[in-house]
This record gives sequence, C-alpha cells and structure tokens, in this order.
Amino acid sequence: MTENDILVKFIKDAFDKGLIEAVMAPSATKDSYTYALITKKEDVDKITPIAPVMQWNGADMIRRITKLKKSERKLLAILRPCESRTYKELVKFNQINPENIIVLTYDCPGTVHARNFKYEPTSADKLIDDMKNGKISNKIRESCRVCEYPTPIKGVGDIGLGIVNTNEPVFFSLSDKGKEFLAEMNINEGERDDSTWVKLHRDNREKWLKEERITGGRKGLEEFLSSCLNCHNCKDMCPICFCKECFFEDHSVFDYESNKFYNWADDKDGIRLPTDKSLFHVGRLIHMGTSCIGCGLCQQACPMDIPLYRLFGIVGNDLQKVFNYKPGVNDDLPPVMDFREDELHEFEGLFGGEE
Amino acid sequence: MTEKKFDPVIVGFFCNWCTSAAADLAGTSRLHYPASIRPIRVMCSSTVDPVYLVRALQEGADATILGGCHPGDCHYITGNYKARRRVAIVKTVLKSLGFDESRVLLEWISGSEGPKFARVMNEYTEYIKNLGPSDFKYLDSLGGEKLD
Repeated sequence: MTENDILVKFIKDAFDKGLIEAVMAPSATKDSYTYALITKKEDVDKITPIAPVMQWNGADMIRRITKLKKSERKLLAILRPCESRTYKELVKFNQINPENIIVLTYDCPGTVHARNFKYEPTSADKLIDDMKNGKISNKIRESCRVCEYPTPIKGVGDIGLGIVNTNEPVFFSLSDKGKEFLAEMNINEGERDDSTWVKLHRDNREKWLKEERITGGRKGLEEFLSSCLNCHNCKDMCPICFCKECFFEDHSVFDYESNKFYNWADDKDGIRLPTDKSLFHVGRLIHMGTSCIGCGLCQQACPMDIPLYRLFGIVGNDLQKVFNYKPGVNDDLPPVMDFREDELHEFEGLFGGEE
Repeated sequence: MTEKKFDPVIVGFFCNWCTSAAADLAGTSRLHYPASIRPIRVMCSSTVDPVYLVRALQEGADATILGGCHPGDCHYITGNYKARRRVAIVKTVLKSLGFDESRVLLEWISGSEGPKFARVMNEYTEYIKNLGPSDFKYLDSLGGEKLD
C-alpha cells in the first residue's frame, strides 16, 4: 500500500466514523494538481493526498473558505509542512479561523516546479521512494531542497504522518485535538526518527544562505531583477500577502504630474519605467519578509524565472534573526504585530544606542 | 573653476507631538540647523509606512530621518515602539541587500529638546555629506555609477 492509499483509507474511515464532514486535499488535473474540497465519502478516490506539485498554498485556500465565517463543517485539510506553518502564521494574523479544522501533515518529499511537471510529469510515489532512500532529487524545486522544516513539527497542525525511516507509515499527534482524533480513529500513535532527512535539508540551507545571497546594493538588485515584468505574480501567490488593498496595487500612490517624471529624468540621467519596479520587491520584503514561510511559490510563479526565493528567503532569514522569530513554528506573535519596550537599541540613532 | 559642492537632501518624518515641536523650539531659540532637512510633519512616527522611508530614498533623497517621542512618552502610548520595529526591518533589508543602512535614521527627540534637534540635524547632515550621494536613488534609472 502506498502512502497515498493509506491516507485515502484514513480519510474514508474518518468519514465513516463521522469525525469529518469534508476534506481538502490535492486532486489531479490534466497537467497539474489543484486543491479540491470533497464533502462525500464516494468522492474521496478522486484525491491524491500527497501530490508531486504544489500549485497553490493550501493555507491560502483555507483562508478563502473561512474568510467570512468559521468553517461550518468539520474539515480535514491535508497540508504539506510548509503549508501547515503558513496555516499557523495566518491564524496568528487572524486570517484563518481554526475552529472545526483538523490539519494533517506529513514527511514531505518536496515538490517539482509546476511548469516542469507539465512537460515532464512524475509521480508522488517516485518522490517518496527517493525520500525513503534519503535522496533529494535535482528535479525538486530550489525552495524545497533548502527547506528548514521538511517534516511535521509538534504544535503545528494536528496530525502527522511519518514516512521516513520506518517500514510502515506511522500516524502521530501534534496537538491535543489530533490526539483525540487519533484515539477516536482507534489508531495507535507511532514514532520514527526524521533527523537525517531534516539534516540533509538544513545542510543544503546553510550552504544556500551563504552562496546565493544577493549583494552589491543597487548593482546586485538591478541585475537580479533585470528581467522583472512587474506583473506582481509573486505577490498574488504569496500566502502572507493577504492584504485586501496592496500598497503597490493602489496606483494612485504612484500618480504624479508629468513634470515630476521629467525632473527625475533630468536628475537621474534617465529613468526606467515603470518607476516602482525594484521598489515593489524591496517594499514587499519590508512588509512580509519577517513572516516568510519559505514555500517558494513566488519563485514558481515568476514568468521570467527569476529565482525570487533567494531574495525573499535569504533576506527574510536575516529579518527573522533580528527578531529571533521563526514564522509558523511556535506561538510567538509575528514581529509586525508585537513589540517590546526594551529592545532593538542598536537601530536607534546614528551609531546605535540611545544617548 | 569651482567644483560643485554636494548638498544632500534629507527627508525627515517628524512626529507631531515631540520631534516637530522640537523643530519649532529650535527655530524659536534661533538655533541653526541645515536647510538640507526637508521636514514632513506626521501625527505619529508609527503612521509612516516603512516603505515611504525607502521610497523617499528612491525618489531622490540621500537620507531619511524618522523622529519620534522617547520610548514611553508616545502620545499614542505605543506608537514609537512599533516605529522602532519597522525601522529595524527597513535597516535590515537595506543591509542584507548591500545598501548603506545608515541612510535611514531613527531618533527620539522630545518637544523640549530643541538643542538636541539642531545638534542631531547638523551632525547627520555632516555625516551624509562625507558619505556622498546615495546610490539608492539611481535604482531603476540610467544614471549614477556605471553598471556593466
């Protein structure tokens, strides 16, 4: 039995026992996988709980479901570890109402870039086999190769499925809600050691943080973004960019009289249009960088193949270090929602510290 | 022939209750501060979206100052603590990307500190003069230092 079969059986059993009334999980389309919301047991065969691609962030889908009102039915959401962290982060931002929602997450084999998958399909089982052999395929997306938390974490989500380092997949609880759920399902909690799989990614990440950093100020940033279309796809796909009105979408913010443009062109020896192209990315870093989960969907969404996760992931990592914050991992409030009275004195004044 | 002297443009976002009052006090006390400061009065340091700090830099300023009340003295109780977090974010982003983060300054100047206001503005202008023009304003333009 493959891991997907085990999860499908688990979902059917949960329907039978009346523990859930709906399930949200990926379902295959012609060229990809998208999230599907299923409310009947007989439809459960249409889903593939562990998909080889992540086209959208599942937490963003739950946000849409609970936007106006809490979930009316008991929903089981099958999320990747990064999505479950996004879920937790969005709960903190009051964007998701977690009532009536059970999150199941699993040891993640990583995902293939959605565009590559379209032309060169692969199966989840193959990726899972690679994972069991402790191998990260080079077809996996960059953000997955350098993932900091590729396995379920205690306190993030409710139920975990352990796949690595075990003969038979094991279920275990991540929260009290999950513990109750598994008890009612008559499933014994198992254990497995995921440290090798995590370490493999952390080593990749250490190397990546050092080597792929964008430096050099204006030159580095302009070269990095030189092919940017200013399409704002990265922002649309970003689960943390949930604002109804985006600073950069409100074009009246960037409306000026023509004189202003001519004066800039005079002063700066010619300007490139639109004028807010690089500023958009710097601004987005300032607004959401502290909560960047690392799903890498910005990079997957880029039509010009700019490796945007190197910008948001690495600068985001620097930001999170300043605030000693790991998004979606524990119950700390996001830095932009919180403050301390005695902190950050090195950022005050010209040379740090108050006089 | 005389070389054209570099005259920096520094945009200051000053909170209505403290730093703007200090600017007034510096004026009425006839303390001199440089004309390179372009003050903008805002109701609180926390009303300034951090993007405006870098946006001013891109649109032609050589530096930006965010001035607020001393911690604990905020007219709106907690505004300046939030502003401090935002400035920390802006400075970290600039530093990470390889820009000079000292071009964004956060200062606490209370309404009674007219002399401090004049001194900080003088010192900072001198500092920016020595640093030279900012390259951030040439972002997305054809000028500035040649890029290959």
